[in-house]
Amino acid sequence: MHLKSLLLVALLLTGRSLLAGDAAPPSRASTLLPEAPKPACCKPAPKPACCPATPAPAEAALPFTAESLYQLDVSFTDDTGKAFNLGELRGRPVALNLFFASCGYACPLTVTDLLSVQANLPADVRERAVFVLVSFDTERDTTAVLAQYRQQRQLDGNWIILRGTDDAVRELAALVGVKYKREADGSFAHSNVVTILNAQGEIVHQRLGLRGGLEETAAALAR
Amino acid sequence: MRLTVPRFTVLLLAAALGLGAAEPVALVTIPAGTYVPLQRSVKDEPEVKVAAFLLDARPVTNGEFLAFVTANPKWRRSQVSRLFADASYLEHWAGDLEPGPRAPLDAPVVRVSWFAARAYARAHGKRLPTTAEWELAAAAGYTRPDGANDEELSRDLYAWLARPVPAVHRAVATGRPNLHGAYDLHGLVWEWVDDFNTAMVTGESRGDSGLERDLFCGAGAVGAKDTSNYAAFMRSALRSSLKANNTTTSLGFRCAK
Repeated sequence: MHLKSLLLVALLLTGRSLLAGDAAPPSRASTLLPEAPKPACCKPAPKPACCPATPAPAEAALPFTAESLYQLDVSFTDDTGKAFNLGELRGRPVALNLFFASCGYACPLTVTDLLSVQANLPADVRERAVFVLVSFDTERDTTAVLAQYRQQRQLDGNWIILRGTDDAVRELAALVGVKYKREADGSFAHSNVVTILNAQGEIVHQRLGLRGGLEETAAALAR
Repeated sequence: MRLTVPRFTVLLLAAALGLGAAEPVALVTIPAGTYVPLQRSVKDEPEVKVAAFLLDARPVTNGEFLAFVTANPKWRRSQVSRLFADASYLEHWAGDLEPGPRAPLDAPVVRVSWFAARAYARAHGKRLPTTAEWELAAAAGYTRPDGANDEELSRDLYAWLARPVPAVHRAVATGRPNLHGAYDLHGLVWEWVDDFNTAMVTGESRGDSGLERDLFCGAGAVGAKDTSNYAAFMRSALRSSLKANNTTTSLGFRCAK
């Protein structure tokens, strides 16, 4: 069983760690209230023993805020093959990065940077912070490739690695201002942007480029 | 003077004029061809092969967009999320469901974002054309496939570029169609393309410093194939300057299939 799944189950059952160390006013916490079960749009989880098929109590009943990226109505698939809606991240601080697994330059550097950000977070923030990688290589980055990437880079359960349709990835990229373009050799030219989302899924910080900015990134996650 | 027309009258008019969603716009076939990007990475192919595709014969009109927002409340001016459309979205319309005198029903809809244009296309079982597709379609002249050598087209195009954006756009498909039967690719409004955000000319010199080195083939125009194609450079510059939720007074769209 995945660490991530364990964590999710823990969250579903208690909701407690979402709030741990969170000094937010009640209105913010109230967004963590359960919402109605999701429509039967998502394919059933491959391993029902491990993960609840419908994360019924996980999400909030309230609509997303006006600036929330979670309004984006598209679905992704994680590296276990499970359907994943960005709205499932609600309630947790998120570092979002678009990448492709075969990237030889910028993406591995960014992941290394994010690993160090994660390692240096205060324990309570580290417990809640989610690191999300979304691939724009919709052809080559299959579930298996992404699972292998997780292993190679030793990404723990607080890392979520997603793939999606070209439509879904393009709209997410547009929302965070990431430009990317497939090269003739199959690699991608892309801007290097790490986006930090707050509990509501609103952009609170963006780190542009490959150098520096890690303290600000960590601070934005802890805010 | 401002005309006030009851909402249902507008809807009836739209239906009567065949401008609603019920009356599909004619699609024209754009034959397969090649598109030569203005700027390209050293790793890019010099030419992009484009398969034949179907393209709306003209831009989407206010009447058609009215039918869309009527059926899809989340895309109405008062309800759309700022994330998906900026504050000037449909600002020139008289009301949420009332285009009004500044947005004639048969004129192209403008002040729409990329997200809105995409949603419209999806609702009609279509999509936005890619840059390569759009440029291929627009490369044709009135009477010959190579529009760049079509003097009449060049004259009309540059005359249009020199004119300021009018307060009220004229009706679609009232000009001269190109060789493929497509109207208004030049001379009316700019148009969204699906992959506008592949235009990698960004202002983020710090952010993209790792890219500049190997992304661009020389300095833009120097590496460009056809430096005389001023209008194409303008389109390229526009695309690279846009964000997906931006709207402007001269930016509309048409769909492809």
